[in-house]
Amino acid sequence: MAEARLRWLLPLGLSLAVLVPLGVLWQRSLIPGSLSVLDMGVPDFGTGTVFGASAHDHHGEAGTSVTDLVDAPNRPADVTVDLRADAAQLEIAGRPVQGFTVNGTSPGPTIRAQQGQLVEVRFTNGSVPGGATLHWHGVDVPNAMDGVAGVTQDAVDVGHSFTYRFVASRAGTYWYHSHQVSHRQVIGGLLGALVVSPAGDATPSETGDVVAIAHTYAGFRTINGQAGDLRVAAAPGDRVRVRVVNTDNATLPLWADQPVTLAALDGSEVNRPTPLTGVMVGVAAGGRADLLVDVPAAGAARVQLSKSTAVIVGADGVEPPPPSQPSSWLDLLSYGSPLATTLDPTRPDRSFSYRMTQQPGFVRGRPGVWWAINGQLYPQLPMFMVRQGELVAVHFDNQTTETHPMHLHGHHLLVLARNHQPASGSPWWTDSLDVLPGENYDVVFWATNPGLWMDHCHNLDHAKDGMITHLAYEGVTTPFRLGGDHLNEPE
Amino acid sequence: MKKLYSLVAYLVCGLVAVQAGTMVWAHSGMFQWVAAGGVLDKAAIESSDSLTFDGVQGFMIHGMNGMMVIPSVAVVLLVLSFFAKVPHGVAWAIGVAVLVALQVALGLLGHEFTISGLFHGVNALVLFTVALLAGLRARG
Repeated sequence: MAEARLRWLLPLGLSLAVLVPLGVLWQRSLIPGSLSVLDMGVPDFGTGTVFGASAHDHHGEAGTSVTDLVDAPNRPADVTVDLRADAAQLEIAGRPVQGFTVNGTSPGPTIRAQQGQLVEVRFTNGSVPGGATLHWHGVDVPNAMDGVAGVTQDAVDVGHSFTYRFVASRAGTYWYHSHQVSHRQVIGGLLGALVVSPAGDATPSETGDVVAIAHTYAGFRTINGQAGDLRVAAAPGDRVRVRVVNTDNATLPLWADQPVTLAALDGSEVNRPTPLTGVMVGVAAGGRADLLVDVPAAGAARVQLSKSTAVIVGADGVEPPPPSQPSSWLDLLSYGSPLATTLDPTRPDRSFSYRMTQQPGFVRGRPGVWWAINGQLYPQLPMFMVRQGELVAVHFDNQTTETHPMHLHGHHLLVLARNHQPASGSPWWTDSLDVLPGENYDVVFWATNPGLWMDHCHNLDHAKDGMITHLAYEGVTTPFRLGGDHLNEPE
Repeated sequence: MKKLYSLVAYLVCGLVAVQAGTMVWAHSGMFQWVAAGGVLDKAAIESSDSLTFDGVQGFMIHGMNGMMVIPSVAVVLLVLSFFAKVPHGVAWAIGVAVLVALQVALGLLGHEFTISGLFHGVNALVLFTVALLAGLRARG
């Protein structure tokens, strides 16, 4: 009798030993239909002081709401733009592609403003199913204007509008894109460029200024929505600033048939940049690179944006042949010249570890091998907690097999070192930092823009698979929820 | 129970065959697409949801089948082995599970080390064989 019972109990026990841990992991990975980002993840105070009443303990009833974090609400706008997003069939390289338009085209119109101006964008969702938003990539907007569905606002449903207002405080090249179901809407073309010129425009040596948005639609590379080359009319001796925006999920390589200068990266001017020959400039996913191109006496210069597209700057009819692709990359760690800063970046108030690995488990109930941050899978990811005014250090460590372009909303990162080798060139400010497999980076940022900010991989497919963390300022809360009635799904 | 064990073991064989088939199917479509002017670079690969060529689903099926379906079936086989009383059935099921885990690891490592892809292909055949032998054992 006892033996018969054992015959059943032993297999049953073994089965439970296999299935119960799997079941627990599966259950932990499920996301409720409506969830506050404040309840997601585990508060991580890094090496800094732990503050008691964290945002995690509040649920919107105390502290500052993200909706209160705005710029000059009573100031009249200097630049006013109406943008309307639609689901549409695009024509790319003569082929129909299902995608999205802004004001009828993809990319949408380039917004131009001067440094210090207040930009007001009235965004209407014409026909994007499931809602849409606009995120101002690289612009340190106030948190309420960050455009992250479910964190700083609700997705804008079809027929509804949302007005974004922010002061364009830094000159540079930026872009806007939807942050609702972004892995589909951005890839489908719901995006455009934002160019902020310096107050007074003190760049007399530049005779031209052109935006080149690199985007891959259904496997077809384009510049400003057109397959093939972008021609920019210019005369020999002209100096043209080409503002390259990488809106794809992967690093964009740039190289030219003559020396070009990398004048700015992610909207920040490089200090004393030198002309580049024989190297590629790698623009991280989401990143921007401003190149200064001098038109040669021969008539035209050619800048490759990957092998399949190019910007040709010069006289019409001159067709420079594609230059061969260099085999090495520009090392931004030593490019340009150092600049004395008044702020000392070496004594952070708080240091965080951001270790990326791959591990088996469940994400949203699906088994697989997933991206993990500090050993945890989505949604048990760290919530990086900071106090306003702190200098915050982050150690990115990529132990996975793929590149991760790390994007922190609302702040700029200053790179201090890569693989413990200190930066020796121009101050390297970035908002979209490629961390290659096996690399680690030490960066700092100043926590001077309160809010709840996404800190994620801008390979949007990786973000969709859970490579999403948040930076939370002490006492900031949000009334918005992931999921819920607006089906907010920022990834 | 023995019959079920054997059927699930054969199911692993069938799913491994699907893996081999989908990969070549997708590659065939991809090469034709490239021949017709499509350019495959990192940006295209990283937005694979938006690629539309014939056979592109093969990559997706390969990924989901390999990372989700086959590991789940291997767990089912292991649980069944506790009840099925197949001679060395638990050992064979553990063998299948270990080879599946190794196969997933080799597939992912192939993103970093090319040689890993070579072993990924060979290990598929080892896994197929071990699952087949497990199924045949249950038949007695």
